[in-house]
Amino acid sequence: MIKLPADFFKWGEKMTAMQAKGFLDGTIVTIELTLISIALGLIFGMLLALARISKSKVLRGITWTYVWVFRGTPLMLQLIIVYFAVPLMANAITGNYLNVSMFGAAVIGLTLNTAAYLAEIFRAGILSIDKGQMEAAKALGMTYRQAMLKIIIPQTYRRVIPPFANEFIMILKDTSLVIVIGLAELTRVSKQFAASGEWKFYFVAGAIYLFLTTISTFIFDKMEKHAARYE
Amino acid sequence: MSMIKTENIHKYFGKNHVLNGIDLEIFPSEVMCVVGPSGSGKSTLLRCLNHLERISSGKIYIDGVLVDHRENDKDVLKTDPKKVAQMCAELGMVFQRFNLFPHKTALENVMIGPVTVKKAPKAKAEEKARALLEKVGIVEKADEYPSRLSGGQQQRVAIARALAMEPKIMLFDEPTSALDPELVGEVLEVMKQLAHGGMTMMVVTHEMGFAREVGTRLIFMDEGKIVEQGTPREVFENPQQERTKDFFRSIL
Repeated sequence: MIKLPADFFKWGEKMTAMQAKGFLDGTIVTIELTLISIALGLIFGMLLALARISKSKVLRGITWTYVWVFRGTPLMLQLIIVYFAVPLMANAITGNYLNVSMFGAAVIGLTLNTAAYLAEIFRAGILSIDKGQMEAAKALGMTYRQAMLKIIIPQTYRRVIPPFANEFIMILKDTSLVIVIGLAELTRVSKQFAASGEWKFYFVAGAIYLFLTTISTFIFDKMEKHAARYE
Repeated sequence: MSMIKTENIHKYFGKNHVLNGIDLEIFPSEVMCVVGPSGSGKSTLLRCLNHLERISSGKIYIDGVLVDHRENDKDVLKTDPKKVAQMCAELGMVFQRFNLFPHKTALENVMIGPVTVKKAPKAKAEEKARALLEKVGIVEKADEYPSRLSGGQQQRVAIARALAMEPKIMLFDEPTSALDPELVGEVLEVMKQLAHGGMTMMVVTHEMGFAREVGTRLIFMDEGKIVEQGTPREVFENPQQERTKDFFRSIL
């Protein structure tokens, strides 16, 4: 029989105010990284999706390559390249170092990566809309742009929300990968505090992630129901 | 002057020669019914008129203006997408499968054309949309989404939606083919009303009763060609061509 030490479950009192603040700050960084990257990725991903279904072979080729590269290589490596390799590359080419902040590099890396996934999600959403919808819009005299903005894209919301929610939660968790460039987000904070032997701090981080993903799931479920109101 | 005139229209889908030299003229207030076996090219002809399909070669005039001229699947007349969109708006189109916008209510479906394309003020567009829904007898369903409407109701909304753009001509692509038999009547009734109001119409249909009663001209198509045309009475009662006779025998 394993005997647990008396203080095994009593760790709350051991968290100092400084540590609590550290967790709060780390959590805020994680949330900021997620929201900013997803918001930028949303715009960029939609543009990629539209380019991917355009008539131009060049645009289609470029976006296909983009998606191929960013989905085909690890996010962690992409983050390392943005933060460590790009400044060196800039130096080799122009002779000047390019200074990117840790946070900036993290946002860029996460955005470029999520945009590739979101582009595929949006593309599938657009292609799933019955082609009679575009025909009806055109028959009313709408241009392609008007038809996309008013008719096609709004109808993709309901279909796109579940895979989008999935991607959102993936990115929320994958923000922990920015630990490789040293940004003090939730995972790194817990690792720092745990370095002194306080292994329980890892579980605090885990609980916070779980809390964030649970709230997100709840919100996306609501959004999905709202988007399905006309069906 | 003719509302629509086509000259020697050909359309290929790959090797398939779907339209084989169509010359056609539709005059104001005519109700032209197009009948023929499936695959005869009648729907394709309609879709070519408003650019949902591009013709392979030939010319299309609308209201005397050359709007499409192509040879060998290439534009001879340079077409500007904005002008094409404008032209499409002059031809109202009603589809077999209604194609209402499912995320918009019946009223919004009717408003969206004028608001988006003609930049009509919302209040004015709404007023007009209600009047049109009234006209097709469905104003009490104005705030329902299409999924809550029967096929016949959806098709009537679709007619109102097309009318909202104040088209010069209404094109109907088998408007009752997707409907349960008991719902066909209400849609034909609205179309009859329109015809009596002087609307120029081109109707691809299998409803021979409608063609006979409302049509001012009947065209029989087969294998991409106009085989026979005349008043519905002439064509129904005294078809000249063997293929026309065979077709009527097979459906009656």
